[in-house]
Amino acid sequence: MHTPLIGVSPEIVKIRELIDHVADTGLNVVITGETGVGKEVVSRVLYQQSPRNNKPFVKVNCAALPDGLLESELYGYEQGAFTGAEKKKKGKFELAHKGVLFLDEIGDMSLPLQAKLLHVLQSGEFAPLGSEREIKADTWVIAATNHDLAEKIADKSFRADLYYRLNIIKIHIPPLRERPEDILELINYYTDEFISQFSNKNIKKLDKSIIDAFLSYPWPGNVRQLQNILKRVLILGNGKEIIEELKRSECDFPESKSRDIRKPFKSNAPLNATFDFDEETADLSSFSLKDIRKKALDKIERDAILYILDKTNWNRSKASKILQISYKTLLYKITELNIDQPSSSLED
Amino acid sequence: MKKKGKLLIIDDSDVIVEMLFQFLKNKNYELASASNGLDGIKLFNSDPEGFDLVITDIVMPNISGVGVISILKAKRPDLPIIAITGFGEHPESLAAEARADVVLEKPIDLTTLDQHISDLVKKNPAYQPEDKQP
Repeated sequence: MHTPLIGVSPEIVKIRELIDHVADTGLNVVITGETGVGKEVVSRVLYQQSPRNNKPFVKVNCAALPDGLLESELYGYEQGAFTGAEKKKKGKFELAHKGVLFLDEIGDMSLPLQAKLLHVLQSGEFAPLGSEREIKADTWVIAATNHDLAEKIADKSFRADLYYRLNIIKIHIPPLRERPEDILELINYYTDEFISQFSNKNIKKLDKSIIDAFLSYPWPGNVRQLQNILKRVLILGNGKEIIEELKRSECDFPESKSRDIRKPFKSNAPLNATFDFDEETADLSSFSLKDIRKKALDKIERDAILYILDKTNWNRSKASKILQISYKTLLYKITELNIDQPSSSLED
Repeated sequence: MKKKGKLLIIDDSDVIVEMLFQFLKNKNYELASASNGLDGIKLFNSDPEGFDLVITDIVMPNISGVGVISILKAKRPDLPIIAITGFGEHPESLAAEARADVVLEKPIDLTTLDQHISDLVKKNPAYQPEDKQP
């Protein structure tokens, strides 16, 4: 099935352009972005545009399985390799031979498995569990994460050598709130999609007031949240109720920098908005304090860097000295935290 | 005075690009530059046979230097490429695997760089100084 990358924003246009240039290279890719932005969609578009599109696309979620199980999923095992291994099983690396292996949530992979993955990427060979035989695999690895891998390297939970080997092509997908011009495109695309899926039901397109509410909402759960809410509105027809819900959570969206974080949360709205927690699809098993800490830190860092850049009139050399970080780190942070130079300072 | 060759510089640090640009301009090279891998590849594709050498940083947004080297070498295996790695980064072996002709670590010694450029450009069979062209 063809998976298009929907959007008209400069960011999405740039990602399409990048895909056009790298899809036929087979170079390792890392896709980053918040939960729900469409990392898997980008990986599938890469695959579809590559010469490997008639071979398998195999997906593995590295966060969903405990270590031992993930290892046997990736590399397979021989009969009798461990208790319960009654017959030989091929691993995902082998199943994705000549095709694509999409490693989702790579940032959650344990250090021992990172070491084994690095070996496979370096040598193109691996041994299934319980086997001494090395198997050659020509597999295009596309990895995705919502973590900041550079930060994970700093706290020694991600190997730098694996990072450099994976990060040959880097595709960052900004959150939907930073590219609101894509919202209408997404509404139109998914409305048509849902209408064709539920063709026997009487589904009407959204009326203008609902579209306006959708356009002004910050979508903390990104495209996935938009899809879920759109589906609810189209199928249940309870548009007004949903608008009220969106408006309520939008009121709580912390645009004010003075929000008192010591105040206990009365509802989940601040979590929804700031930390990407989607009540619609709430899956508490993936709720992580570590993620929340990272997002909070990112937000504070972003504000601090913006403040200093503003004070130095976007002189990056001066700003890096004030912030006591290297020039290169500052450039990295500007890209990583999606800090845009205001047009007024460009004119100076 | 005839130019000594056309070079493409790809680096996300405008300080480095400016420094290389000034230095190599004074050495009488024709220059083009890009601040990330994708723009560098687009620039190269606009005149694939026109460049005599590429100097690329390794750690960059979108397409890394390793990606740039692999993509450009696949298009033009004879194209000489110098890779520059930041201090404390570890992708030197990757740059070599991707067939960079020379890998230099920052801070760059400009005299050494100039010598490498000069050697690689002269060694390249595709290069013809303008005064020898028909």
